[in-house]
Amino acid sequence: MNAEEIQAIFFAECEESLAAAEQGLAACKAGTHDADTVNAVFRGVHSIKGGAGAFGYVALQAFTHTFETLLSDVRDGTVAITEPLVDLMLRALDVLSDHVTAARGQGDTPDDESLQAELTAAMAANAGAAPAPVAAPADPAPASSFDDEDDFGIDFDSMLDDIAGELGSDDAATAEQPVGKGWHFKVRPHAGAMRNGSEPLLMLREVLELGAACVECDVGAVPPLDTLDPCTGYLGWTFLLPDDVSESAVRDIFDFVGEDCGLAMGEDAPLPALRLPQPAAPRAAAPVAPAAPAPVADSAAPVSATPAAYAPAPESETARAGAPPAPPMPGQSIRIELGKLDKLIDAVGELVIAQAMMAQRLAGDGLAVTEELAVLEGLTRDIQESAMAIRAQPIGSVFSRVPRILRELTTSTGKHVRLDVSGESTELDKTVIERLGEPLTHLIRNAVDHGIESAEDRLASGKPAEGTLTLSAEHRSGRILIRIADDGRGIDRERVLQKAIEKGLVAPDAVLSKEEIDALIFAPGFSTAQQISNISGRGVGMDVVRQNVKDLGGRITIDSEPGAGTTFTLTLPLTLAISDGMVVNVGDQTLVVPLANVVESLRPAPDEVQGLGSRRSMINVRGRFIPVVPLYEAVGARGATEKAEEGVLIVVETEGAGRAALLVDAICDQRQVVIKSLDTHYRSVEGVAGATILGDGRVALIVDVDGLVARTLSGHALAEAA
Amino acid sequence: MPTITLPSRCDRAAAEALLPEMVAALGSGVMHIDARECRQIGQVMLQLLVSARRTGDGALIEASPALLDTARQFGLEAELFDGAAA
Repeated sequence: MNAEEIQAIFFAECEESLAAAEQGLAACKAGTHDADTVNAVFRGVHSIKGGAGAFGYVALQAFTHTFETLLSDVRDGTVAITEPLVDLMLRALDVLSDHVTAARGQGDTPDDESLQAELTAAMAANAGAAPAPVAAPADPAPASSFDDEDDFGIDFDSMLDDIAGELGSDDAATAEQPVGKGWHFKVRPHAGAMRNGSEPLLMLREVLELGAACVECDVGAVPPLDTLDPCTGYLGWTFLLPDDVSESAVRDIFDFVGEDCGLAMGEDAPLPALRLPQPAAPRAAAPVAPAAPAPVADSAAPVSATPAAYAPAPESETARAGAPPAPPMPGQSIRIELGKLDKLIDAVGELVIAQAMMAQRLAGDGLAVTEELAVLEGLTRDIQESAMAIRAQPIGSVFSRVPRILRELTTSTGKHVRLDVSGESTELDKTVIERLGEPLTHLIRNAVDHGIESAEDRLASGKPAEGTLTLSAEHRSGRILIRIADDGRGIDRERVLQKAIEKGLVAPDAVLSKEEIDALIFAPGFSTAQQISNISGRGVGMDVVRQNVKDLGGRITIDSEPGAGTTFTLTLPLTLAISDGMVVNVGDQTLVVPLANVVESLRPAPDEVQGLGSRRSMINVRGRFIPVVPLYEAVGARGATEKAEEGVLIVVETEGAGRAALLVDAICDQRQVVIKSLDTHYRSVEGVAGATILGDGRVALIVDVDGLVARTLSGHALAEAA
Repeated sequence: MPTITLPSRCDRAAAEALLPEMVAALGSGVMHIDARECRQIGQVMLQLLVSARRTGDGALIEASPALLDTARQFGLEAELFDGAAA
């Protein structure tokens, strides 16, 4: 792994740390925090600091150091959590995020001088409170004073830089410590503390920075070279700490590694025991014996046999001893290059096609129902789901950016907005998540700028002064629904229509339904904002939002109630790669209807279909009239069945237009289809979601049911209105 | 006297790479470990050096200032550098 790759991991971890800190501070703001909450914020900031030091981002490191010192005081309870303090920390988090962006080379380094001063002023030492138990550097500003700061939560070999060169500066402090006073602390790092590039000496150095002096290093457990396992921690240390350093301050240093470091407090406490890979191995007992000379004496014998004996790698030695592999740690994860993952997804897509082709070939030979084929189909589906699950990420990573957007909007508009979030653990494809940020930001800005009224207006209309923005996400029928709802004034339809007529978007005498008027706000260049602000009002946002959502294979709908608020609902596919579909024939064409939309299929009796006007017809499905949408008209198929009673009707559910019945000639099959983007291979076509390759090698278009039904029905509506 | 040269960065990977070399050098007298270039050192390499000193005829370590500092800070100065060899 080269430095650039390690740096990329650092920035990815920065995003995670910032999100965790944001979440923690949001809980503090809402008053739902506990000790772990503050600790999580501290950990997030601390991790960023460690990496910043390793990569030499001096400004980022300096800022995180100040922020972390304050957080340490908050965590220790020497600084109380108050609303102004949480606001200060939220601002600090925003600046920290800007620092990370700047470190990435994507922005300027923020001016943090005044904020650093505020953070320093809020620290326990400067508030006249009891001095913080953790010895914090008195002057956090100059970067050189902690150039060699360290961290242990990030997997960077390069962080060894921190503990190497400039150790001289610590010597003085260590030497001044009067030996004999204070209390004893004993530590033995185990194998886990040295895994994945973690380095125990970094933590031990933090102990030294608290004013500790090393009393003794226990080397008695170190075996001869020929039996040394580099994965095992053999050394144990005893430190003497000043009385004014609390036990918790020391334990905090080892927070991240948990059980991977054995800790003991007090002079009489034994040094934590050695942890060897094979607990029952006979040589496990010998090294812990205090007699140091023993291993030396023993070491002479095996020397001659060593070169061959040591040939296997430590891991294989462990395996040979029959030790069971360690169970995966909860939450353990690895990072995978996205390109590799995409390659896997592509391969799975081809596998699905190959499996379908084979099934079709076998069916042609009269072997459609074989047990092996069913097993293969099941396995293919399992592999597909597993591959998709690898790409799935919780939508919380997008939602976590929202509080900052709201804070900025509060500053610029003066409107205070409370955020309610639900379903943040809902998972969807990484690509969808990545491309969701921009439309979501637009919608939130619009909701606050246009939707939510000023505090005075809200109070006048009997609402609380603080507005509420609700963000939610949920899975439904193989798709994901994301709602952005505000409790503002709702869409002023009269004004929207008037503006649309002024701009020539609709005819002056047009009669539009509520939904159609609402949809006008997505028209290019449309804006009803009184003044163009830097937030919204230029009329480019909502058009872009709709295009972004459409590009993702999704739809956006509006539900607005005057005086009560507006809800935008984004309906998105869980993945952009594979879908279940119903293969249908329409004249000379074969089409795929996504199964997610299909409710049922039926052959109507002649008396169940009723004409409406000159071109429309409706079907009575158990007392409910559903409009019939002839697919042959929409796709221009030749030789198709034109009468509903002679074909098959597929009842589909759409987001914007309710239920509709698609008229097709016949249903051929139901299968998984690999979605090939038309945008990539041809161009975007309205009413068509993509294309796929069928088992016999033919290409079939995948119907965009929502878009096609909405377009067909509104076309009728407009035609009738005209 | 077999000589093992330590790299600038003596992390776990370096220690794992050097271990077979050191094991192969056993039995040929006092091992000479040239650590003059060592600028960074981690626990795994410290363990390896301790083990080298305590195995067979022992080892003589020529240390860089960084290694000396680390050994002094973590209580290993005598273990690693006292006497010609263990």
